[in-house]
Amino acid sequence: MKAGQRRVQTAPQTAPQTGDLFAAPPPVIAPAAATLPIPVLAPVSPRRRPSLWYAVVFAGAPDLPALALHAQQFTSCVSLAEPNALLLEVQGSLRLFGPLVRLRELLDARWQALGIRAQSAIAPSTLAALWCARAGETLCSDDAATLTGRLLALPLICTAWDEERLQTLRSMGIQRLGDLLRLPRAGLARRLGPQAVRDLDIAVGKQPEPRRAFMPRERFRERLDFETEIEHVAYLERALEPVLERCARFLRRRQAGVQSLALRLRHRVRQPTALRVGFASVTGEQPRLAEVLAQRLGRLELPAAVRAIELHSGTLQPLSAISLDAFGGGGRDTALQLIERLRARLGEQAVYGVTTQREHRPEAAWRRVQQLSLTAPSARGGVPSLETLPSLEAMPRPVWLLAEPVLLSRREVDELRLESDDGRRDPERIETGWWDGKGVARDYYRIRPAHGARLWVFQERHTKSWYLHGMFA
Amino acid sequence: MPRESSSLADLLADARVWKLKDASASHRLSSSRPVWSTGKSGLDARLPGGGWPTASLVEVLIDVNGLGELQLFLPALAESQRRADGEVPWLVWIAPPHEPYAPALAQQGIELGRLLVVRPPSATEALWAAEQALRSGVCAAVFLWLKGTDDRWLRRLKLAAEEGGALGVLFRPERHRFESSPASLRLLMTQGEQQPRLELLKVQGGRPGLVDLGAS
Repeated sequence: MKAGQRRVQTAPQTAPQTGDLFAAPPPVIAPAAATLPIPVLAPVSPRRRPSLWYAVVFAGAPDLPALALHAQQFTSCVSLAEPNALLLEVQGSLRLFGPLVRLRELLDARWQALGIRAQSAIAPSTLAALWCARAGETLCSDDAATLTGRLLALPLICTAWDEERLQTLRSMGIQRLGDLLRLPRAGLARRLGPQAVRDLDIAVGKQPEPRRAFMPRERFRERLDFETEIEHVAYLERALEPVLERCARFLRRRQAGVQSLALRLRHRVRQPTALRVGFASVTGEQPRLAEVLAQRLGRLELPAAVRAIELHSGTLQPLSAISLDAFGGGGRDTALQLIERLRARLGEQAVYGVTTQREHRPEAAWRRVQQLSLTAPSARGGVPSLETLPSLEAMPRPVWLLAEPVLLSRREVDELRLESDDGRRDPERIETGWWDGKGVARDYYRIRPAHGARLWVFQERHTKSWYLHGMFA
Repeated sequence: MPRESSSLADLLADARVWKLKDASASHRLSSSRPVWSTGKSGLDARLPGGGWPTASLVEVLIDVNGLGELQLFLPALAESQRRADGEVPWLVWIAPPHEPYAPALAQQGIELGRLLVVRPPSATEALWAAEQALRSGVCAAVFLWLKGTDDRWLRRLKLAAEEGGALGVLFRPERHRFESSPASLRLLMTQGEQQPRLELLKVQGGRPGLVDLGAS
């Protein structure tokens, strides 16, 4: 095992020895990255290690989610501070973008490049950085010991507390944070409420502040308007290609996949046509998205020319390592893909499995299974566990079971010689179900009429009438 | 005359010309594949290799359901699922005439978790589904029940079966008996005096004729 792993890692170096420089292309990095979980709304715990926060306050009414995406190029931990600020945890970014001053220049340059006016500050606590940024104080320090001293001169307005509180403080003659920090805390809590005291503790680093990490949009959504209306499905498929490509890229960036896609075709007059395709497993691969969508489109009759298309992804789900078959044999299908393709074209209900049920009534001893389990069957060796079978030693069951037992006419009963003794021996009696109103009392026989077929018939014990229930094919 | 002066290469490039070399190559390919015993010694003896060929198309002409036509295949399928090293292969039944009865299949050793039933809305969709399943490479066998279909589609199924290494079995009514078929095996099953009558209509690499099924 160990040796095998080592060989894989050194493959690029050993390749030249075989004389073929291009024999071993570098492996795709996706599978390694695939084990990373998708970013979720998890609280950031800043006390694990000394944290360092970059706060940036934008002028005007910025589009924070869009800016957060930019910020995510520097750190994975970006948090929105409504209405106009972002907080970035940058301790981990220093190794790549450091030192501190340079990191800050890089970040500030990003906003400048976007043409947005912004003020920033770096401090060991979230609120200290945010307050400094709001106050225009260009603090850039990772020193927790001197933090409180740097805050003393900040005007109270930078706390963004509500006007009522600020008014109270102003009437007390308090102008700066330093004045506030000197006051006894119990009195402060009474006058301003516990929230303000908590804010102060966070700012000076006495208390950590858990912040929610920003998670990018959870769905892919794109609308494409056509200059000329599209009347053929084949052209639609082609028009969809770039959208699907962007969708796949969107998913790849997030190490995520989807299990469904919704497509809306907009027409000039009519209601939009809505299509929905499901995937048997979470996927983000463009060929697979395109193929299943194409299958679905293939059986669509366009009610009218299409003016625009809208593609919506389902909820993003983390990709499991299995669904990325970067090293897999390519070309060959998996069972999943087969089932998916069949379902996309024939409909969900048209593709199903069957399973046994613990039940003596033959018609209730099985059921359809829509949720196909694609993992390897538990009981290797073919035979399901005995519990799932009503009674294995019972009379063999017919492969074809009629949906409803067919009442045999007098003549048929005679022809099958059911009344005579040589046509029937050793019946299996099934008498059950009296408790739920669907009781049965039947004697089942396996008979072989003269022409060679083998049938499964039963005699209703109360009415004495005969029924055909199945065929041994 | 241009027709007479055409070279051999031109001639072979014509799609209408069937090259014997290719035919024998594909035959060699399929005969090197494993065969599955039918469970009936009388039938095994008549089939080249001694059983059902895999990666090929078999056609069963039958008018009445319940003559034991599935019994010819089920033991082989159960065996193929049991013996598989690695992934257990799938069985796909397309447009069966009745519901496949799960307890019966379980009794015969079929892995139900690897059985897929497909109910397509039309014959064309059924053929499409069969082609997809045969070609996928994850199926041991694909059964297809059809009222009728043309030669062109059967050829596609045969190619798909060879490509995917699956056994394709097509059940059709007896009236198609005299149509040409690319299937490598054609069987006719009819009602007999005491037991069903099985006749081999076409056997690639074998001899057609009646088969003695023996007591069963």
